[in-house]
Amino acid sequence: MTGALLEVERLTMEFRAHRGTGGGRVQAVRGVSFTIGKGEILGLVGETGSGKTTVGKCVVRLLNPSAGTVRFDGQDITRVPRGKLRQLRARFQMVFQDPYSSLDPRMTVARIVAEPVRAHTTDSATEVRAKAARAIERVGLPSGVLQRLPHELSGGQRQRVGLARALVLEPQLLIADEPVSALDVSVRAGILNLLADLQRSMGFSCLFITHDLSVAEFLCDRVAVMYLGEIVEVGTRDELFADPRHPYTQSLLAAAPLPDPVRQRGRAGARLAGEPASNVTPPPGCGLNPRCPLADDRCIAEAPAFTVVSALGHMTRCHRVEERQSAQ
Amino acid sequence: MSLTIAPDPAAMLEAAGQSGRHWLRRLVERPPAVIGLAGVIVVVVVAVFAPLLAPYSPVASSFQAVLARPFTAGHLLGTDELGRDVLSRMIYGAQPTLEVGVLATGLALVVGVPIGLVSGYYRGAADMLAMRITDVVLAFPFLLVAIGLAAIFGPSLRNVVLALGIASLPGFVRIARAEAMALREQDFVQAAIVTGVRDRVILFRHLLPNMAGPILVQATLTIPGAILGSALLSYLGLGVQPPTASWGNMLATAQEYLFNDPWLAVFPGVAIFLATLCFNLLGDGLRDLFDPAMR
Repeated sequence: MTGALLEVERLTMEFRAHRGTGGGRVQAVRGVSFTIGKGEILGLVGETGSGKTTVGKCVVRLLNPSAGTVRFDGQDITRVPRGKLRQLRARFQMVFQDPYSSLDPRMTVARIVAEPVRAHTTDSATEVRAKAARAIERVGLPSGVLQRLPHELSGGQRQRVGLARALVLEPQLLIADEPVSALDVSVRAGILNLLADLQRSMGFSCLFITHDLSVAEFLCDRVAVMYLGEIVEVGTRDELFADPRHPYTQSLLAAAPLPDPVRQRGRAGARLAGEPASNVTPPPGCGLNPRCPLADDRCIAEAPAFTVVSALGHMTRCHRVEERQSAQ
Repeated sequence: MSLTIAPDPAAMLEAAGQSGRHWLRRLVERPPAVIGLAGVIVVVVVAVFAPLLAPYSPVASSFQAVLARPFTAGHLLGTDELGRDVLSRMIYGAQPTLEVGVLATGLALVVGVPIGLVSGYYRGAADMLAMRITDVVLAFPFLLVAIGLAAIFGPSLRNVVLALGIASLPGFVRIARAEAMALREQDFVQAAIVTGVRDRVILFRHLLPNMAGPILVQATLTIPGAILGSALLSYLGLGVQPPTASWGNMLATAQEYLFNDPWLAVFPGVAIFLATLCFNLLGDGLRDLFDPAMR
């Protein structure tokens, strides 16, 4: 991995809360930083409300972040003017969660897939058609679907169309926001394999947003875990899944049962009680402190910084990990 | 000679394609909507083919038969105070009535929809301004606005269209704006934004086709309003001027003869009532059709 394609630094996104709910500001994303290298797949994992989708929307600037920078190939996306941004958009594309609402119900598949080509090139109608046909072939759909309308396709087929649209311009970065969560388990594997194959052959980088740990483990090179708007742990897939350090990551992994009951019983790790804290009034210090079995006074007094725990860049934000490390 | 095969309506609907089959079938399943559609077709046919259908010229006077009662020889619906055939005037009168309804609605649609589309998509200060203006217009009753504008513009067919069109504008602006705001948040529009599609393309290729249903419904429901409005303006002397026949000005003239010759008022009155009812029935049917909850 030479050089980062995407550098996100101290990204913060606040929404004004509805007056009826007492006002205040929802701190959806609180100072998130990460990088994605060329050809790398970074998984962004977290539960509902952790801010992972908001991060994705800020990266493609569907939302204007409150603070922080999103540098794509050296250019800060949050500050480029509209005209320039439109040109840049050819190089990063997005796949949406819901394959039913993400395709215009009144457009044929051919027009949907051709749209990015039309927006960014001056290709003739024949060339546009040829590119759309190639993209459809690449995602494993028969050319017959080109003349179909979205409602005539199954969920899996629609998501393939969404993927074809996102990849038709051969972008450098793909943001995939829970692309398989809305699909039946039986078609999930097909889409994930396809995504992995296409990534290998086309070489794009990918920000893969999911709440499903097994999906992240299958697909991603590195994984970042989000909790209450912050990244609490990031590391290579192998290190993070084999040796989770943050109590939150540990509890997430412990919540997914292992097929082997003996190993399941023998598995260590923290169990969390309660619900995530409010992101309007996040707790002082570490966001996890109200639920964490290891929390002490220091966890309430100050927010932990990242501690590097391995040579491969495995990092975690937990006071107790620091202590446990220095104790060794 | 070749064989002529009677077209099978079911097969034609089938051939109209997926979406065509869907909505036509579903429309036909609603009796009130079918009655409305039939009535609208009748009015349109009568207006278009008036010269072929009318037994007399609408302005030819016959002084042998002034104020003839209905069902007298040669005059099915009788004659008016100048001895003109009421049936012929009714048939010709459908023309300006329908014309005003359709043109005023068309004007409101063509001007109102783009305003609402842009307002709802971009929001901001321009949207605020557009909404406050429509609020002001909506604060007055529709007919009052139409009368006021018609009085300012002066009586003529063109000015009646203009007055009723402007009075009908807010409805279209509101609906297009609401639809644009809702569609803007849909994933497929967000996807188009991320893809880098130009705003122009998003507005006219994604938003406009997806709001066609509600706008069509609004148009079908605006036409009867405009027809009523034009009748009222004619009645007040602000609309189509005599001797040209319109249902509204026939009604206005009939007022003087209401006691002795009430049929002069009954026929145009019933015609206005039925035409308005048919457009409303059709509009309601279409609205049910496009209402997602009814699917």
